[in-house]
Amino acid sequence: MERKQLAPGVHLSWDPAEKLNRCRISIHFTFPIRRESATAHALLPLVMERGYAGCPDMTGLTKKLARLYGADLTVDGRPMGANRNVCISVTGIKDRFALAGEDLCAAYTELALGVAFHPCIADGGFDPEAVAIEKQMLRQSLEDELNDKRLYCMRQTARLFFGDSPMGIRQEGCLDELDAVTGADLAAAYFEMLRTASIELMVLGCTPAETDRVVRAFLAELAAIRRQPVPLAPFGAMPRQTPVHRTEHFDMVQAKLCMAFTLGQPMDLADMAACRLAMALYGGSVTSRLFLHVRERDHLCYYCSSSFQSFTGSMTVSSGIEPGNAARAEEAILEELAALCTGPITTQELEDCRRGLIAGLEGIEDSLGGIESWYGMEIIRGGAITTPAQARADLAAVTEEQVRAVLRRFSLSVSYLLTRKEGPYA
Amino acid sequence: MPEHLAVLDCAGNERYVLPSGLTVLVRPMPGYAAAHAIVAAKFGSIDVHFRLGEQELTLPAGVAHYLEHKMFEDQEGDAFAKFARTGANANAFTSFDRTCYYFSATSAVDESLDVLLGMLTHPYFTDETVAKEQGIIAQEIKMYEDSPDWRLVTELCQCLYHGHPIRSDIAGTCESIARITPAMLYDCCKAFYAPSNLVLAAAGNLTARQVLDACARAGLDKPAAAPAAQRICDDEPMTLVRTEKTLRMAVAKPCFGIGYKEVPLAPGDGRTEALYDLILCCLCGGMSTLYRRLYDEGLVNPGFGGEVLRVDGCCCILFTGESDQPDTVRQMLLEEIERIRAEGVDREVFTLCKNEKYGQLVENLENVEDAASQMADFALLGQTVPQQVEMLAGLTADDADAALQAILQPDRAAYVKILPDGAETEE
Repeated sequence: MERKQLAPGVHLSWDPAEKLNRCRISIHFTFPIRRESATAHALLPLVMERGYAGCPDMTGLTKKLARLYGADLTVDGRPMGANRNVCISVTGIKDRFALAGEDLCAAYTELALGVAFHPCIADGGFDPEAVAIEKQMLRQSLEDELNDKRLYCMRQTARLFFGDSPMGIRQEGCLDELDAVTGADLAAAYFEMLRTASIELMVLGCTPAETDRVVRAFLAELAAIRRQPVPLAPFGAMPRQTPVHRTEHFDMVQAKLCMAFTLGQPMDLADMAACRLAMALYGGSVTSRLFLHVRERDHLCYYCSSSFQSFTGSMTVSSGIEPGNAARAEEAILEELAALCTGPITTQELEDCRRGLIAGLEGIEDSLGGIESWYGMEIIRGGAITTPAQARADLAAVTEEQVRAVLRRFSLSVSYLLTRKEGPYA
Repeated sequence: MPEHLAVLDCAGNERYVLPSGLTVLVRPMPGYAAAHAIVAAKFGSIDVHFRLGEQELTLPAGVAHYLEHKMFEDQEGDAFAKFARTGANANAFTSFDRTCYYFSATSAVDESLDVLLGMLTHPYFTDETVAKEQGIIAQEIKMYEDSPDWRLVTELCQCLYHGHPIRSDIAGTCESIARITPAMLYDCCKAFYAPSNLVLAAAGNLTARQVLDACARAGLDKPAAAPAAQRICDDEPMTLVRTEKTLRMAVAKPCFGIGYKEVPLAPGDGRTEALYDLILCCLCGGMSTLYRRLYDEGLVNPGFGGEVLRVDGCCCILFTGESDQPDTVRQMLLEEIERIRAEGVDREVFTLCKNEKYGQLVENLENVEDAASQMADFALLGQTVPQQVEMLAGLTADDADAALQAILQPDRAAYVKILPDGAETEE
């Protein structure tokens, strides 16, 4: 992957990824999120994905993608701490696989740039009919979140953990604000994003000549925008607090327990490798303590895993448990953390985890998704970009004491339980 | 269509049938760091009734899945621990008609192949090891019981089928798995894990020589007993058990499923299955008029769609989704089926659906996991990628119109609804 600046706050990353069968053109907009525009930004990707000025009809767009052999167009919004990343991407098969000699890369370019820079805006607002339909879709998805108990439990935990912090601004938007959002609000959010966001054009799997064409077309679009990029929000962390326990009851068979921990202060990028190994050892792999002890040995959970979020300096443990085991499971999860902080760590378990992580890093450049998500995260995190090879070298050098040091910094903030009414934990 | 298709350049593989009966498929992929290997056993949750020698065996629901968990253990311990030593990322899954074990690795591929083949050729079960798995699997069963999507499929199958084992959940029930014994698991291995009932597919940063050498080290290069089992398929009438069912769960929105019982497809008939897929794409896919109307009226979300569920002795078409007005969606779907039965599928949309399927084939050749899985899937179906491309090219809208005269018949349809139950919150 190579990267260069195209303009202030605008960069190009490209990788010809010759061995892969598909190519991908994506445009990332990253910007600090504000509470007052969060619901508009939750709705914006849905409306943008329906069509653009060159192909405004949703069904027409689906047919256009099918003509390109089922190319995939996505507009995704995702939180990165107190920042939001909106990514417009088109992924499709390379020209050499086209059955009628079509110039597919040119078509992908037109699509990606069309959706990013020429959405269906007229008279200062997005098309009211499209907005109304997508509001209904977002409303349904917000009302439906309970259907996936695991996701619902994790979201409820995050809401309690982050409270009013900008890091907790809901990616999915707020139901009670949705009715009031208008096509004009969406247009305002869109134009603000164009003006202020850091922009990353990523071109993967294209030849140098194709990449050059994409860049020229992109720069022509950019020239029409009066840009005023704003700095991204730095890494954050929630302050330590006395742990809060919350229980919600439903008619359900398996209980869900989600626990949120904070580092207490923002993460230092220099600790990234130690964090990765610490997660693999605690609950992020099948050689972790949570998997081997809490699930396999003690049979307290069907799944029990930890994940670390660098932007918010937080760790989440998510588990599916027998309702009657909730208290024991929580205790065991905390005991395993304490045991890693103070007890013995065998060389074998440490090396098993390190080996697994290194193998995963070695395979990153075997897929478009792997390349994009690795470099995308590295770019948004800021600082020098670490290649997978450098990350492997960093991992190889992490010591047991560095792993302990990272884990010792986590303290429990929130424990959220979804369970049956008659559970003893209730 | 051009004379030479580039897709065929990356779809090639080396194919061997070893003296043991094991089918081996290898696709080296230059430039890739990782290798992926998968062993697929033709043994899934529907294989509960068979003859083994003189014995006729009827097993409790969930045996294939239980066996999948237990195959990771031997006298020396856990295969996951062995994979951890090689740095491989391993897992397994069980479906209605197969059990698959796989790993991805970027180094020590030979050693990982030895672990994979070793665990499948040296089963080890005791009363104690079998009993200790019950807790974990019971938790897994309960997790699926809370999933409305999964419940819909199970309930639809129970409405459509009288005796076919597709009626049972893949993992079984807490009661059925309590009846599983080491002897049953050994019987299953003897019956279904014979090399000739397995396919080994590997793709990525490895060579056929490496894979064949690993097979030799595991003793798979020598003749082995053929599978001892004969599946027993009870007659399944084309009538339904029931046509409607409503249940309640802790869901926010009603979920619905509409299932059609179809005539089972002959083994190896991938063409008809592909044709049904294209019909569904035309009927309710993103390019269909029905989908657009439902979507614009807020009656469904992008999760709505149809799928073909096909295994030995069973073929059904299932439509599932979430809606505040499931009855309206059902009515609109039924009307649209009758409309396209009478008028024929949209020619443009049919061609575009074929285009999408071709793109999907190319995509599945891109990464090592998909490449190996696709090879194994096609091998179980008795097909290859070139045959799939040719078959897809040969399907016509007229074929779809003809098929529509026989499938999706209203007298073979069942309807299941899941309605929301109450919830309470406390501090």
